[in-house]
Amino acid sequence: MLSQQTEASVMEEPPKAWLYPKWRKRIAAVIALLFVLLLVILFATSTGSVEIPFGTTVSILLSKLPFTDITPNWEDGIEMIVWSVRLPRVLLAGLVGAALALAGATYQGLFRNPLADPYLIGVAQGAALGAVIGFMLPVSAAGAGIGIVPLLAFVGALLSVTIVYMLARVGKMVPVSTLILAGVALGALMGAIVSYLAIRSDMLRGIMFWLSGSFSMIEWSEVQIVFPIVVIGSVVIMLFSRPLNIMQLDEEQAQQLGISVEKMKLILLAAATMITAAAVSFVGIIGFVGIITPHAVRLIWGPDYRFLLPLSLISGAIFLILADVLARTLIAPSEIPIGIITALCGAPFFLYLLRSRIKASY
Amino acid sequence: MLEIELRNVSLRYGRNPVVQDISFNVKPGQVLGLVGPNGCGKSTLIKAVSRVITPSSGSILVNGCSIEEIKRMELAKMLGVVPQIPLLPGNFSGFEIVLMGRNPHLGLLQYEGKKDIAIAWRAIEETSTWHIANRKISQLSGGEIQSIVIARVLAQQTEAILLDEPTSNLDIGRQIEIMDLLKGLCRRQNLTIIIALHELNLAAQYCDELVLINKGRIQCTGKPAEVITSENIEQVYGSGSYVGSHPLSGLPVVLPTAGSSNHSQE
Repeated sequence: MLSQQTEASVMEEPPKAWLYPKWRKRIAAVIALLFVLLLVILFATSTGSVEIPFGTTVSILLSKLPFTDITPNWEDGIEMIVWSVRLPRVLLAGLVGAALALAGATYQGLFRNPLADPYLIGVAQGAALGAVIGFMLPVSAAGAGIGIVPLLAFVGALLSVTIVYMLARVGKMVPVSTLILAGVALGALMGAIVSYLAIRSDMLRGIMFWLSGSFSMIEWSEVQIVFPIVVIGSVVIMLFSRPLNIMQLDEEQAQQLGISVEKMKLILLAAATMITAAAVSFVGIIGFVGIITPHAVRLIWGPDYRFLLPLSLISGAIFLILADVLARTLIAPSEIPIGIITALCGAPFFLYLLRSRIKASY
Repeated sequence: MLEIELRNVSLRYGRNPVVQDISFNVKPGQVLGLVGPNGCGKSTLIKAVSRVITPSSGSILVNGCSIEEIKRMELAKMLGVVPQIPLLPGNFSGFEIVLMGRNPHLGLLQYEGKKDIAIAWRAIEETSTWHIANRKISQLSGGEIQSIVIARVLAQQTEAILLDEPTSNLDIGRQIEIMDLLKGLCRRQNLTIIIALHELNLAAQYCDELVLINKGRIQCTGKPAEVITSENIEQVYGSGSYVGSHPLSGLPVVLPTAGSSNHSQE
């Protein structure tokens, strides 16, 4: 009995290092993934119907940086393809993937529900309704260089979540379950309207294409609009990663540990909704990234939101950039809707991960 | 040093009154026990003192200041809570949960530093939970989870601790270990402790003062020997248990007597 006890205490001596051992691995993972992201961006920019050597792509991109002096040894057409066609598309795919994965992780944490995705409380349906109305309006373009479709999609997404939030409000509180129910109900209502408008419209093809998501025809101006929104939203969300951890207890314990739960819900919902809305407005509704990426990250690196959030963000970007490469190259010159690729590639990978982790933990 | 005072506190869920007109105060270095039958309002009172629910009337004061006027973060530095059935996310490790106790002491942009990690490990040592600290919560038993949450409240380093049935899932050895730890901390560091217990014998052994609650109202308050009497037990619990005195400490003990409830057939 005595010998057993001493043996146990030798084995389970608390670690002396102040940096908790698991944190080192996770910090290393963040750095490694950032590096992978950079490589993926370069790879995706040089891959396409016109194959451009990796070295040339890197040189073209470097020549665009200030204080570099590289004499062009490539054709103008190649530079056009890299700089004006592919790079904005790749960057936007990265931004959208990052935004959806981060928003998905945030919603899952906020609702303490693994089934939550960025579209759970009506963002997608609101955006779709806005977009469909945009398609049907006789106006072709609004000011500031944004098309009427993305503008109305953005407004529709924000508006629908605001309505859901108001509907779910009970006094000073917004219970999570009411929020989800109100979101699902309003989403169904708007979905029905979207379907009706779509089949009555003569723009059915355009609408269907938008609904299934696509990165074709992306230009720098779109990246310039989405980038600041996603950056601001992501910074806000990541600032609150420790409170988000503590909200994984229940709301009562979170309050007893000093968290103002309702305030936190409002801030995180607003930020996650904003980046989701910005993401879907320009490229349509891309499924699967938002729900699967955070889960895959959680399975590999654990549930701590301080690492889960940045790791999801980077992984989401990598995943969607690669998915878009497949979407535009598999049956070139035509394109496969990106949602098909995300589901086709993401689902088997996730199932593999799920099975192997389940085996490991039992 | 923290004094907690309740003045004529009434609480309700919706329209149902749960407790009515409760007043008592706890001084630093004192363990106050809330005892009473199931559903008498012990947990509700604990929730009210930690500002999870708001009294419909009356006031709760911490060092003479109403808790309504204290920011949540400040309040969490003053008093920590061990809930009755703590729901914890299963995929976090025990250590990660204990470290969450440091939250009120950290700014938004601050990460847990050397000091916080050391405090968390000390709390883990004090509660002898180091053998489960690196395991996932989903692999722990009810008693082990309770111990982890007690470690968390120690890591929170508050001057007052509220505990709601903290020993309900523990075996008798662990019960005594945890209660000894709490009582020792209370005496050494002048902590203020409020503890809701349904186990009357444990309450009698460890509490300096007891508040016996019956149907949401105070039945009586006082030292264990004044509160745990056969008349009070009969009146509040309905069954005629035998109340004697502990052979070593002389404090009251309650022994169940078979056949003393109204289900018994004479």
